[in-house]
Amino acid sequence: MPALIEARDLTKKYGKHTALDHANFAVETGRIVGLIGPNGAGKTSALRAILGLTSYEGQLKVLDREPFTHRAALMNDACFIADVAVLPAWLRVDQAIDFVAGVHPRFRRDRAHALLAKTQITGKRRMRELSKGMKTQVHLALTMAIDAKLLVLDEPTLGLDILARRSFYDALVNDYMDETRTILITTHQVEEVENLLTDVIFIDRGRIVLDCSLEDIATRYAAVAVTEDRVATARAEKPFYERRTLGKTVLYFEKPDVDKLRDLGDLSTPSVSDLFVAKLSAGAA
Amino acid sequence: MNNYSWLVRREFWENRAIWIVPAVIGAALTLAALFGRVDIAELTSPEQNRVVGGMVLFAFGVAFFVVMNIYSTWYLLDCLYADRKDRSVLFWKSLPISDTATVLAKLFTGLIAIPLVYFVAADISTLLMAFIVSVRARSTFGGALWQPDLWLQLQALWLYLIVTMAIWYLPFAGWLVLVSAWAKRAVMLWSVLPPLALYLLERWFFGTHVTGTALRDRALGYIPTAFQDITDRTAWVTTVIDRDTITTPGSIWRLLDPLGFFSNPATWLGLVVGVVFILGAIQLRLRRTDL
Repeated sequence: MPALIEARDLTKKYGKHTALDHANFAVETGRIVGLIGPNGAGKTSALRAILGLTSYEGQLKVLDREPFTHRAALMNDACFIADVAVLPAWLRVDQAIDFVAGVHPRFRRDRAHALLAKTQITGKRRMRELSKGMKTQVHLALTMAIDAKLLVLDEPTLGLDILARRSFYDALVNDYMDETRTILITTHQVEEVENLLTDVIFIDRGRIVLDCSLEDIATRYAAVAVTEDRVATARAEKPFYERRTLGKTVLYFEKPDVDKLRDLGDLSTPSVSDLFVAKLSAGAA
Repeated sequence: MNNYSWLVRREFWENRAIWIVPAVIGAALTLAALFGRVDIAELTSPEQNRVVGGMVLFAFGVAFFVVMNIYSTWYLLDCLYADRKDRSVLFWKSLPISDTATVLAKLFTGLIAIPLVYFVAADISTLLMAFIVSVRARSTFGGALWQPDLWLQLQALWLYLIVTMAIWYLPFAGWLVLVSAWAKRAVMLWSVLPPLALYLLERWFFGTHVTGTALRDRALGYIPTAFQDITDRTAWVTTVIDRDTITTPGSIWRLLDPLGFFSNPATWLGLVVGVVFILGAIQLRLRRTDL
């Protein structure tokens, strides 16, 4: 089965600035993929290319279509929420539902109503009257009521309080996600999503630094916390990054010799956020 | 087609002025009929009836028509720019609607839907006015407004204007949506500056007036193209009412020139230029998501 998203040498230039530099990655059906990178790394450019919002060089297939030339058709099967509140100020909630129901064959009105019923938002309210968090909730309700194969979320919980964030992610995993769906999500709050991701793609300065599943992280990477006297021995195993914490040094290894490392100190699988910091700091050095 | 109807509906949601403005004009004119002076003239002949009735009905339509053209121009200039300004373009693009459909729906709204709203508003308020005046007026004036033949002629005139102007002025409309899809700010200024610059540069460097002539011919060429020779005296009728001499067209049917309009190469040349601008606007809408 071909990948849902497949990018080969995906490149996007804005004048002299290269936002995406021959990026290669793939996203399989049924995964929840986190696209993670620092500000200006090319996350947004990658998402815009995937969603057909911008032209690009290189090859890109999303649901077997070229996004830029077939955006409208692609949006039958894919939907997205961009990083900022983009519902127009004049739009009423009921108009938004009517419009999406009118133009989107996979929109389920009852589900949108059910999602909105959990909030304080009524149909006659205009977007300009709603708080940023409420606007996000309307947008999420509209989007999650679409039976899409691919859902792209760019900083989806921006402006939401902690309770709303938690319930959003719970709903995403428990009610929305199933094996036919794929979610691509970017956020700088890595800790918030790392428990629900199945895959991560790290991006830095337009290049893909890492593209692997969470299971693979466990076999490919290891972190060892060692006491000072063992740092030199551990360094002999060629860590790609090290970091000092409370009296110990944590060393990160790729394709580690687990048996050797276990003897040196506390062996663990690095968390996504730790691995992210390690990978990017190592790349910057 | 279904998508287009939703797209046009959305324009009406977004731009409530589309129906509020004609409603206000209609209300103002109705109030004028209710409280204004209605015994304008004592009409003694069917000929006088026809002339005065026709002029009043025509003037009502003109009031709507002038405002409509100003509003439509502004609408076309703003429609694509507004989506980028409030960043909602990203929401619209998350739906399975092509950018071509979006641009065409906005053009249709500006060139056909908005004029039709004004057309209907003008008809409703003209009927109201005629009714009020016939009840209030003690003179023969009220009766002059109820002439089916005049009504029919004016309906035909307005519809003919809507269709032929949409075609003749498509280069202007296309230019407006192109600017709307392109400009980062000051759409009004950008709609005027490039043609003005082209005109001046051409004058300074080549001493020619191609741009100016083309613009003038397009702006002023509509009436000579879409209507019969208006200097032909036989199409006009002179009537004396009280001490005024009034010259009016004998019949609208003698003035309209659809055959001449559609067989004029300038009509089709303009259409081609308009389509080129519109295609450019679609390409820009495809690529631009930010200001």
